[in-house]
Amino acid sequence: MHKIKVRINGRDFEDEVDSRLLLVHYIRQKARLTGTHVGCDTGNCGACTIIFNGKTIKSCLMLAVQANGADMTTVEGLAKNGLHPIQEAFMDRFAIQCGYCTPGMMLSACSLLQTNPQPNEAEIREAIEGNLCMCTGYQQIVEAIQYAAEKTRK
Amino acid sequence: MLKLEEILVTRNWVGKPVRRKEDTRFVMGVATYVDDLDIDCHHVAFLRSPYAHARILKIDTSKAEALPGVIAVITGQEIARQTKPVVPRAFNKPAVQYVMAVNKVRYVGEPVVAVVAENQYLAADALDLIEVEYEALKPVVTIEDALNPKSPLIFEEAGSNVLLHDKMVHGNIEEIYKEADLVIKEHFKVHRYSSTPLEPWAIIVKYERANDSFVVWSNDQQHGRSIVNVCHTLGISTDKLRFIVPDSGGGFGVKLALWPYIVTLALLSKKANKPIKWIQTRTEHLLGGTHAPDADVEIDLALKKDGRILGLCIKDIQNDGSFVHTTGIYGLIKFATMSGCYNIKATSAELVSVVTNKGPTVQNRGVGKPTMIFVLERMVDLAAKKLGLDPAEMRFRNFIQPGQMPHTTPSGEVYESGDYPECLRKGLRHLGYDEFRKRQKDLRSKGRYIGVGISAGVEPGTSNLGYYYTSRGVPEYMGNAEGAIVGVDYDGNINVLLGSVDSGQGHATTTSQVVADMLAIHPDRVSMTNQLDSIISPFLGHSGVYSNKFNDVDLGAVIMATKKVRDKMLRIAAHMLGVDRSKLKLKDGTIYSSENGAKAVSFKEIASVAYKRILLLPEGEEPGLKEIAYYKTPFAKMPSRENFNIQITHSNSVHIAAVEVDVESGSIRLDRYIIVHDCGNQIHPEIVRGMAIGSTVHGIGASLYENFVYNEDGQLLASTFMDYLKPLSVGLPNFEVVHMESPCPYSLLGTKSAGEGGAITSLTALANAVEDALSPFGVKVTSLPLAPEKVVKAIRETKEI
Amino acid sequence: MIPNKFEYIRPNTLQEALSILSAYREDAKVLAGGQSLLSLMKLRLASPKYLIDLSGVPELNYIREESGRGNSARIAIGALTTYAQIKESAVLQAKSPLLVQTTHLIGDVQVRNRGTLGGSLAHADPAGDMPAAILALGAEIKAVGPKGARWIKAEDFFVTAFTTALSFDEIVAEVRVPVLKGYKTAYMKNAPRPSDFAIVGVAVCLQPDGGRTCQNITIGITGVTDKAYRAVGVEESLRGKQLDPKIIEQAASRVTDGVEVNGNIHASKEFRSYLASIWVKRAIQAAMSGA
Repeated sequence: MHKIKVRINGRDFEDEVDSRLLLVHYIRQKARLTGTHVGCDTGNCGACTIIFNGKTIKSCLMLAVQANGADMTTVEGLAKNGLHPIQEAFMDRFAIQCGYCTPGMMLSACSLLQTNPQPNEAEIREAIEGNLCMCTGYQQIVEAIQYAAEKTRK
Repeated sequence: MLKLEEILVTRNWVGKPVRRKEDTRFVMGVATYVDDLDIDCHHVAFLRSPYAHARILKIDTSKAEALPGVIAVITGQEIARQTKPVVPRAFNKPAVQYVMAVNKVRYVGEPVVAVVAENQYLAADALDLIEVEYEALKPVVTIEDALNPKSPLIFEEAGSNVLLHDKMVHGNIEEIYKEADLVIKEHFKVHRYSSTPLEPWAIIVKYERANDSFVVWSNDQQHGRSIVNVCHTLGISTDKLRFIVPDSGGGFGVKLALWPYIVTLALLSKKANKPIKWIQTRTEHLLGGTHAPDADVEIDLALKKDGRILGLCIKDIQNDGSFVHTTGIYGLIKFATMSGCYNIKATSAELVSVVTNKGPTVQNRGVGKPTMIFVLERMVDLAAKKLGLDPAEMRFRNFIQPGQMPHTTPSGEVYESGDYPECLRKGLRHLGYDEFRKRQKDLRSKGRYIGVGISAGVEPGTSNLGYYYTSRGVPEYMGNAEGAIVGVDYDGNINVLLGSVDSGQGHATTTSQVVADMLAIHPDRVSMTNQLDSIISPFLGHSGVYSNKFNDVDLGAVIMATKKVRDKMLRIAAHMLGVDRSKLKLKDGTIYSSENGAKAVSFKEIASVAYKRILLLPEGEEPGLKEIAYYKTPFAKMPSRENFNIQITHSNSVHIAAVEVDVESGSIRLDRYIIVHDCGNQIHPEIVRGMAIGSTVHGIGASLYENFVYNEDGQLLASTFMDYLKPLSVGLPNFEVVHMESPCPYSLLGTKSAGEGGAITSLTALANAVEDALSPFGVKVTSLPLAPEKVVKAIRETKEI
Repeated sequence: MIPNKFEYIRPNTLQEALSILSAYREDAKVLAGGQSLLSLMKLRLASPKYLIDLSGVPELNYIREESGRGNSARIAIGALTTYAQIKESAVLQAKSPLLVQTTHLIGDVQVRNRGTLGGSLAHADPAGDMPAAILALGAEIKAVGPKGARWIKAEDFFVTAFTTALSFDEIVAEVRVPVLKGYKTAYMKNAPRPSDFAIVGVAVCLQPDGGRTCQNITIGITGVTDKAYRAVGVEESLRGKQLDPKIIEQAASRVTDGVEVNGNIHASKEFRSYLASIWVKRAIQAAMSGA
C-alpha cells in the first residue's frame, strides 16, 4: 500500500492505495467522483479523460499511485461560478445524446481552447480524436466547440 | 384518433430546438449510470470460454474459492440446476441453452464460471485460479460450415444447425416473373458489426431477504420483456422482481439481450446475501455483448426494359451465432422492408437462420433493414447499369409516388405518407448532381476517381411485436404500446413517469415540449423522472426503448395521460369558476373563462382543491391530479403470414455520398455526405438531426472500418477497440442534413421514427459511391466492409469487392 | 481489465532506479508514460512483479542542442520527453524536424501527453512510429546500466517484437539525433484510422544535391515486420540517382527485401508489402516537396 496525496478539483485527498489501483478507479470509487467514465479499458475511448497537471490524460492508463502530488480536474470541477462556457456550449448546440462520453469530450475541448482559443474545424476534430462518441457522429460536438470559441471571441 | 388541434393548446414548444432537460446532469458529471450508484456491492467476474466449441470435462474452482476475498463461485452446471433454459422466440426446434455454458461451450467468451469477490480486482485474480478441462470440438464458424451436413451440431437436440427455414411469398410472384423482360441476380455478403454503446452492459442485483425478492438496477433497454424473461428463467413470480433502469450510456439494441446475466447475478446475490455488481468489460462486450448477424443474401430482380421493377426474390441466410433467444428474428423483420421505397408488386423471401460458434446476435440498430436496403439499393444500381439508366433516374421510375400514399406493400406493410421522389430531387439539387458528373469526368482524365452513391431507404418504426413469431404461429406479444403517468403536483407543476427508458434520445425533453403545448405552460414546469422503477412506473411487456417507438406509442401514452389530467383540471376549474367547461381556455398555467378573463384559476389552485381542499371538488370527482394511460397503436394488424404490418410508421431518407477512392492504396475518403430525411413532424429538430447523423455514422463505421473477423478456429480477432475500429472525429465529413416533413396520419402528432434511418440507408450510399468511382475499372461491390485491401484487389484482379 | 498484483517503486534518481532494476532483474519492468505497458498489464499480457516508475527521476526530461565537433551538432532528448513536448519543440522543428513530423501522427492528444520517446523505443512495438524515425535519423540511444552508459546505434537497437538491445538491467536515458543541414524529411503512415498503429510507417531523411539527385537517403520502416528496420535496399537504389518517379518507384519495390512481412486483420502480408512500397514512394515524394 502507498500513501498518496492528490488534489482533485481544488480539494485535497489523502489515501492509502494499492499499487495496482487504476487512477480512474481511485477517482470514481475513493474520491466518489463518478463523472469520469470507463468505456473501453484499453485507452482507446477517452471516456476516462481528466486534466492532470494541466494536460489531458486517460485515467484508465495511469495508476492512482502515479498521481501522488498531482493536481487534477475532472468534469465535476469544470463549473466554478456557474457553468463553464464549454458546458453551456454543449447544451446550446445539442452535443449530447447519452452523455457517457460528454465529460471526457468537454475536458478535451477545454484543453484545446486553452492553447488554441480559435481553432478551425480540422483542429477541433484532431483535438477530440482520442474521445469516442457512439451517439452523435461528432458533428454537433464539433459545432459546440466552435460555438464556445466564437463566444469567447465576442 | 385525436386531432392535432385537440391535443396541442399552444404551438410554442413542439417543433422548437429547446435546450435538453437531460443535459444539465450530463455536463455537470452527475448523471447516474449503474456503476455510479452508491450501493455497497460485491463484484462478479466471469471466466469465459477460450474455445469456440468444446465439451466441458471438468471444472475445479477450489483454488479460487480459497482466495481471500472471494465470496462465492458458481458454475453453469449449478445455474442449470436452479433455472429454466433460455426461451427461443422465433423457432420451434428444440435447442436447450442456459444463461451460462453447461456441458459445452458454444462461442469464445461464453460464461463458464462466475466468481463473486469483495472487489473487482480480487474477482479478476480469482478467475486465473479456476481450472477447466475442455475437449475441443470442431468449430462451426461460417454459414458454409453451418450448412455443411458433415459439420458438428451446435445444438445436437435440434438435429440441424438450421434452426429456422421459412418462405414468405406475397403477390403473384410467378406471373410477375413471366411479365419481366429480364431478371438480374446477385449474391451479397454482409459482415458482422455492432453499434457498441460507449457504456457497456451494467447490472446490480440485490437480494431482499425480508421477502425473498430481488431488486435489479440495469441499463436494460426492454425491461418490460426482461422482467418476464428473468422471472420465468428463475421460476419466480413477477412480484419478486423490482426493476430499475437509471441513466444509460447508449443502447442501439445492443442492451436488449443482457437479461441472462441478471439471472446469474440474482442467484449469486442470494447466495452471497449481498448486492452484486457486474460491469461488462469492453472485451466481454465485443466477444459476447452481441452483434448484428453476418448474412449471405441471394437476390434477383424482375425488370421491364424501361427500368420498372416488377418483383423480387431473396434467399437470406443469416449467421445468428449462438444465442437461441434471438436466433431467427432478423429475417422475420427484414423481409418486410424488401420492396424499399418502390412500387413492387410481388416478393418472395426465403429465410434461413443458422447457428454457429460465433458470438450471440441481437437486434442491432436497424435490425436487418441495413442489410435489406443494402442488397436492394445495390441491385437498383446494378439494374440501372444493365439498362443504361442513370441511377437517379432508375429510382425515379420506381418510387412510390406521393399520390399513391398510403401504399400497402405485398406483405401488408402500410407506408402512410411521404414524397420519395422529392426527397431524391432535393438531395440531387443539394449536391449539384450534374456538376458532380462533370467534375468526375474531368478528374478521371487526371487519374483521380471520385464517385457518387445514392441510396433510398425506408425507416420503419414501432414494431408490431407479433413478427417474432411469424414462423411459429403462436405470438406471445402482439401490437405495440406504452404507458405513462402524468401528474400535477402541489405547485401546479407537471411530473411525468414513462414506461419506457432513455438511452440518449432526450425523451424527457420531447415529452416536456408536448406536455407544455398541451397545457399551455413552459416546459420548465414539466419534469420527467430519469429512472424507470417497475414498482412505480407504468409498463407493459412492450415497454422499452427500441424499434423507434417513442414518437408513436410512448408519446401517445403521454398525450392520453396528459389529456386525462387536463380534462380533470378543466372539470375542477369549471366548478371552481362557475363557468361552463366549453368556455374555458388554458394560458400560462391557468384556466380562464374566454368570456371573462378575470375569471381564472391557476393549476396550483386547482391542485390545492384536488389534493387538500377536497370538499370543494365537484360532485363525483375523485381527489388527486395524477392520471395513468396506456396507448396502443391502433394500426397494428393481427399476426398473419399473408397480410401483416410488421412496423407501423415509415420514415424515409435519401443518402448521397460523394467519395474519392485512392486507387493505389484502396483508401476511401468521404468528401460530402447529404442526408435528406423525412420523419414526419419533428418535435425537436436538433435531436432529430443528431439522430440522423449519429445513426449514419453507425453505417459508415460498418461500411468502412468495423468488422468482427473470426478465424477458422472461431477466435474473434477484434476483441478490443484497438482492433474493432469505430469511426473517430477525424475522417468524417460535415454531414449536410436536409429535412422534409410528411406528417404521419397514424401517430397522434404526425411524427414518425427518427433513430435508425441513417444506419439503414448509409451502407449502400457508400457502396454505390465506391462502385461509381471505380466504374472505369469495372468493379462491382457485393460485400462489406469496403476495406482498402479488397478495393485494391478488385481494381487489379477480381473486379469484385 | 485488471492488472495482476505488483509492487510499485518510484525511485528519485536514475542510479536508484538502476540498482532496483539490478536487484529484481526480469521480474521488474520500467514504467515511463505507461500508454503501452499499462494497457498490456491490464490485459494481463504483461505481469511484472515490480514496476519501477521513472517519473520521479528529474534528469530525464529535456530537449537540448549540443554543439559537437564540426558537423556533428546534435540534439539530445531525455528519455522521458513526451510526444507532446517533441511536437511543440521549436528547437527540433528548426533543426531536426523529423521527430516533430512523426509525433503529429502518433496516437491522440491524451496519448501524446503521456507517451514518451524513451518508452516507445524500449517498448519496441513492431508498429510504433518513433522507431522508424529514429532509424531514419541514425540516432543513438544512450543506455545506462550498473556498469555505466553505452551508446547504441538505432539500427542495432531493435531486435525483434518488443525486444531491444537493452540488457535487463539497462534503462534508456537519452536519444541523440543529428542536427540536419541540407536534409529534407518526412514521416508518413498508412493506418486504418489516423491515430491507429501503422500498417506501414515510413520515415525519410533525404539529402538532395541541390537539384534532383539524391546524395544520401535513409529510410526507417515500421509496421511491416517484427521490428522497425532500415530499408537498405531502397536507400542503395537511390543514392546518387536522379529522383524521378520511375526510379523512386523501382527503388520502393525493394522495401521488403529480405524481410518477413507480417499479416493481420487490417492488412495481409501481401497487401502490407504492397502498401509498404507505395508508402515509401509517397514519403520520399513528401520529403522532396517538403522543407
